[in-house]
Amino acid sequence: MLRLSSSTSTEDPEHHCGPAEQQVDGTGSMDHSKHSQYSSADKKDSGNTGGGSVLNGHFEGMVKGELRSSAAPAPGAESGSHRAAASVMESWKEERTRSVEDNEMSLPSLAAAYTTILRGLGEDPQRQGLLKTPWRAATAMQFFTKGYQEKIIDVLNDAIFDEDHDEMVIVKDIDMFSMCEHHLVPIFGRVHIGYLPNKRVLGLSKLARIVEIYSRRLQVQERLTKQIAVAITEALQPTGVGVVIEATHMCMVMRGVQKMNSKTVTSTMLGVFREDPKTRDEFLTLIRS
Amino acid sequence: MNTHRVNDIVEEFHSNNGFSDLIIDTKKSTVHRKHETSRKEDEDQSRLPALEAAYTNILLHLGEDTHREGLLRTPLRAAKAIQFLTKGYHETIDDILNNAIFDEDHDEMVIVKDIDMFSLCEHHLVPFFGKVHIGYIPNKKVVGLSKLARIVEIFSRRLQVQERLTKQIAVGIYEALQPKGVAVVIEAAHMCMVMRGVQKMNSRTVTSTMLGVYLEDPKSREEFLTLSQRT
Repeated sequence: MLRLSSSTSTEDPEHHCGPAEQQVDGTGSMDHSKHSQYSSADKKDSGNTGGGSVLNGHFEGMVKGELRSSAAPAPGAESGSHRAAASVMESWKEERTRSVEDNEMSLPSLAAAYTTILRGLGEDPQRQGLLKTPWRAATAMQFFTKGYQEKIIDVLNDAIFDEDHDEMVIVKDIDMFSMCEHHLVPIFGRVHIGYLPNKRVLGLSKLARIVEIYSRRLQVQERLTKQIAVAITEALQPTGVGVVIEATHMCMVMRGVQKMNSKTVTSTMLGVFREDPKTRDEFLTLIRS
Repeated sequence: MNTHRVNDIVEEFHSNNGFSDLIIDTKKSTVHRKHETSRKEDEDQSRLPALEAAYTNILLHLGEDTHREGLLRTPLRAAKAIQFLTKGYHETIDDILNNAIFDEDHDEMVIVKDIDMFSLCEHHLVPFFGKVHIGYIPNKKVVGLSKLARIVEIFSRRLQVQERLTKQIAVGIYEALQPKGVAVVIEAAHMCMVMRGVQKMNSRTVTSTMLGVYLEDPKSREEFLTLSQRT
């Protein structure tokens, strides 16, 4: 059976959050902690084939962990990521992704799992409407997690341009569809992205592609927002990035509390968006209109 | 009176609706069918481990790491979630309606509209959701209003096809009340079309079923459609 994630018996289930949190000790050591985390990830992750063998929220969570947990104001993050950008770009290149062949090989097992689910629900998998449902559901689920098949480096490499522009660029109302990692039920909403270029601008559709890569995964809305913001930061080194996501969670609407009209809003402000209230204000006003 | 015609439609619907004998025996009489459920509530607990194992497999084959913190209890949560989303199999119309049918000397249209509906597409196991508008013209018997919403719940919390769902709701109400006419309109967004496949964000699917006087009399149908579409 193909296992893309780290699958050795010595796997430490805790090394997701623990070491990342522990090693961060402030702004000055940002750079060092990033490097040492990188190597510690290598040591602990014994199934690792050089980089991240885990797809989302795990390896990436470690590299970006210090950004999430650091108490440093954004400039530290900017310069830290500047110097460490090379190592992070390295990590992107080595990020193991699911391939089309992996998909094909997993399909029979996924279909078998879905047949079990249909039976477990009391349905008859042989009735006409359900005959090919396991295959369709398996392919659909693979589509909903196709973010694992793509790498940021592939999407972005060509579309960074040197442009003497330093005013805010906003792409808003990007439709986003994701899967709740806790209930495997859809999340959908809109993403608004704004950034202040620092002489380097990004192709506009690439912002939407970054959203696609990270949203088509098993996600938590907070992590998704941060991943998008951090990806743009690390690709462009802009003066600042702001990402706002407003989404409806089917796990809250269709089950559980069943609140039809509730929306969850998360945001990540990096760089000058975090420090300067006026910039942040301008961004938030422009995405409202 | 066109009761015969409606009854024909009902019978034809039941014999064609695709459920096999194992689950709901459509060839048995109406009385029998009403008392059968295809999934007993207490069986749910015992079926949970199999569902959990299936979800664990799915996570593994999608390439995820089932030991990371966020996914540790996901198989259990996902199994319970999908059992909740298909809880309509537990329930029958009989159970919820028995007490709430009242004799009332009323024979004007009754409409309950904008009933939120959530269902699962039986082809992709992906949600579809929308609003249901129900209208009926009582024949001396009225039903508690929330029972109409409960009927929607019973039939929508299953693996469904929107056409069949519409028909089941209409036929369910018709069989319970024998009204002069029943109309059901459903407008829904299908995530299998929005999130994947053609990816058309704003498309909506509208289906309707008209029985009895709604089928024959265009004026009644028009009145229902006007009143239910009014915001």
